[in-house]
Amino acid sequence: MLERTPEMRALARRSRNRRWRGYALSWMMILPAMIFLILFVIYPVFNMGNMSLYRGNATNPYKEFLGLDNYHRLFFVKEDFYNALGNTALYTVGALISVMVFSLLFAQWMYKKRKLNNIAQTVFFTPHLVAGVSAGFIWSWLMSSQSYGLFNSVLTAIGLPEVHWLDSSAMAMPSIIIMNTWKSIGYYALIILSSMKNIPDEIYEAARLDSASSVKTFFKITLPMISPQLFFLLITITTGSFKVFDSVRIMTNGGPGDSTRVLSMYIYDYAFQRNNTLGYACAAGMVMLLIMIIITIIDFAFVEKKVHYQ
Amino acid sequence: MEKLKLPSADRVKTRVPQLISDFFKIVVMLAFVFPFYWMIITAFKTYPESMQVPPTMWPTEFSLEGFYATFNSGLSIPRYMLNTVIVTASVICLQLVVMVPAAYAFAKRKFPLSGLAFGVVLVAFMIPQQLTYIPVYLMMADWRLISSLWPQILPLGADAFGIFMLRQSFKQIPDEIIESAKLDNANELQVMVQIMLPMCKSAMITIAMFSFIGTWNSYFWPLVMTNNDLYRPLTLAIERLRDAEVGIHWNTLMAGNCLLVVPILVVFIFASRKIIEGFTYRGVK
Amino acid sequence: MAKIEFQKVCKSFGQTKVIENLDLTIEDGKFTVLVGSSGCGKTTLLRMIAGIGPATSGRIFMDGKDITDVPPEKRDIAMVFQNYAIYPTMSVRENIEFGLKNRKVPKAERARLIEEYSEIVGLTEYLDRKPSQLSGGQRQRVALARAMVKKPAVFLMDEPLSNLDAKLRAAMRVELIELQRRLGTTFVYVTHDQVEAMSMADTIVLMEKGEIQQVGAPEEIYHEPNNVFAAQFIGTPPMNIMEMSGGSRVGFRPEKVVLGDRPDVQMPIRMRGTIATREMLGAETQYKVVLKSGATIMVKSPDEGFREGAAVCAMVPAPDVHFFDAKGQHIGHGGPADLLKAAGGMNDA
Repeated sequence: MLERTPEMRALARRSRNRRWRGYALSWMMILPAMIFLILFVIYPVFNMGNMSLYRGNATNPYKEFLGLDNYHRLFFVKEDFYNALGNTALYTVGALISVMVFSLLFAQWMYKKRKLNNIAQTVFFTPHLVAGVSAGFIWSWLMSSQSYGLFNSVLTAIGLPEVHWLDSSAMAMPSIIIMNTWKSIGYYALIILSSMKNIPDEIYEAARLDSASSVKTFFKITLPMISPQLFFLLITITTGSFKVFDSVRIMTNGGPGDSTRVLSMYIYDYAFQRNNTLGYACAAGMVMLLIMIIITIIDFAFVEKKVHYQ
Repeated sequence: MEKLKLPSADRVKTRVPQLISDFFKIVVMLAFVFPFYWMIITAFKTYPESMQVPPTMWPTEFSLEGFYATFNSGLSIPRYMLNTVIVTASVICLQLVVMVPAAYAFAKRKFPLSGLAFGVVLVAFMIPQQLTYIPVYLMMADWRLISSLWPQILPLGADAFGIFMLRQSFKQIPDEIIESAKLDNANELQVMVQIMLPMCKSAMITIAMFSFIGTWNSYFWPLVMTNNDLYRPLTLAIERLRDAEVGIHWNTLMAGNCLLVVPILVVFIFASRKIIEGFTYRGVK
Repeated sequence: MAKIEFQKVCKSFGQTKVIENLDLTIEDGKFTVLVGSSGCGKTTLLRMIAGIGPATSGRIFMDGKDITDVPPEKRDIAMVFQNYAIYPTMSVRENIEFGLKNRKVPKAERARLIEEYSEIVGLTEYLDRKPSQLSGGQRQRVALARAMVKKPAVFLMDEPLSNLDAKLRAAMRVELIELQRRLGTTFVYVTHDQVEAMSMADTIVLMEKGEIQQVGAPEEIYHEPNNVFAAQFIGTPPMNIMEMSGGSRVGFRPEKVVLGDRPDVQMPIRMRGTIATREMLGAETQYKVVLKSGATIMVKSPDEGFREGAAVCAMVPAPDVHFFDAKGQHIGHGGPADLLKAAGGMNDA
């Protein structure tokens, strides 16, 4: 066996020390980020779960332990929760369909490398950068039901009846969806466009040589080839729509009636606008988190299998 | 005489639909920018003209009435603007300081527990901040920070997606570059500051841009995190313009919105390609 | 089967003219290889035949019929792309079937054709695989089957072997030649690799900067190059070219140079020099020789006995000496005594 001289041992110690100094440095580098993420994102989830078992308010969240009573009230006592859930689902499905369909169309429409299409990309993208609050206000103004509201005065001018865009329970949700479609189409179209551009030209040329019509090329080649990207968008749009708040609060504030009161707004109301319902809001928040996780899992389980060709 | 070169039938066939499609495209483009146009010209209308039926497409007289009203609404607009600027700048700086070293360590350094730590990032990535605001608010209240700008800054200190994206761009730098720098006697800090950071400049600019746009436009978070006008940002001020006792003056409201929207539009006009690339990258990765 | 004719064809991309006034006839049933360095216009020419990159002006005929404005799907052609361009989302079967379906071939007929052609390329077991599960060589075969199943009059191939490793490439070369002989179809094949061109072609079309330098059988181009470009493009290492007084040039291939210890007066060209480098290639040895005049020439010789630094005499037999005028055009080789005499001016031994 090799005999270890004191020098060798010192050397080994030094290299061990150096290695641990390296580890320490790495930990120092990730420490701030870890603190922020754990303190402000992960720990609050547990905290919220805990609070959902209590009755309380912002100054004293743990007034009285209720067990699962808040959840019981949520599902079986108060009916407004189902209303909020339904509104959110309606919004999500509506936004998903209109955003997906139009983004695809716009992306295909801007595919060719031309100056006009470059300008179009910029123009269609602009609304995405604007605050939801401002977008909500601008569209509230356009959709104003007063006779000086622009959309209605145009309708009147061409002899059509006025539409109660934001103050009828039938039209309010579609109006919000229209606004958000305008706001997000450009962004999603760009993402789809960039994945379309990753398809090599030769594939399209081969399809032409195979006598494929342009409709067939779109459905048999383009669509399947960008499906991983579409899948990603599906998740992003669904979970994003589930969280919708700013534009709804500005445009309808949940009304008329409760016809546009979405989940995030419902939780906000119970958390801060009412007495001693903080725990109840937390319970609703936990349910919303669970739903979003379930949607993501369903998306992955059912859709992903069909879209990945690699 | 040389035969005149006429466009063949095939070429004509593709050109006419192209023209129709272009025309239609321009119409749709105009429709997309129209809301902004409408915001701006309404802001320059007088109050009576803003309510005229039918609406005027161009102000008969350019009036700054709306802007005056905004600043004299009893709300301290400069204060709100200052808050927005301070919060936005702080978030950008804090995020870069917190996220860059972490992303670098995750991308290029091997250390025990790195897998676990990255798992934390992944989990955080899946939790929307819009859901965790209640406990965060209570925490801030506990720390007696509600009467300050901190609740709008601190909770945004680390963005899981940003760490993700930065890590990706650090990873793309080949290890050989780091090794050869070390052979040139550069220490860890020099490697990071002189080699890695310059090579990831565009990823960092993209991150900064996202924080800028996100924080500038944020409404929900400050709505929850403030209870005093002294600390509220511009987005909330604009909402309060609507709730003024005099009823809705759309010209005033649109003038207020101009203050919020125009800076973003100006930045976008100057850096549209860069911004679009950044957003697309974020979406595609 | 078809003959293809280009008449006064021009092509420009924006401001840059790639091809100007090109005339070319591609023979029916032959294996024609378009060869040249990258950017010489060979792929552009191929895409014109396919109809996916139309000519800016000029006419293209197929069997005498003007096809200049015929869309690609109406031309009787098939193409194999450099990156194969097989549809990644479709299985091998669907890839082969796609074109047939689009041309409304009945189902039973489609099944028969797929079976037949997957057999020919050896993919029968892989029909239900996705391209991502195939090797590079197998993908190449999918592309081939997809092209062949259309039974086209013309087969176009754009560097189809360049993504394969050296061994597979050599094997596929032989297979493609056999395939062409079996089908008897016109093949137009684009490559930048002169070895590929020499080994596969019935006719080589050598291009440079959008212009055709020479059209001919491989032997013809090797033995009778039209100009300095053709002489140097074909053969490795390229032909040695030396300037003579008066601007005209003399050339000789490295493999024709005879190395010796002392000059042989029978040889019209005799130059003294020193071996600078020596590369043993197996059957032959390649030397770089620095001449007394300071010029360097390459020599490929079966004699491996010369060492670096050795003084040698490089000699070229009369039939192997080529002459080019000041513009680089070939003016003859071997014979003419006056030319040989002029070349002798370079001699120092």
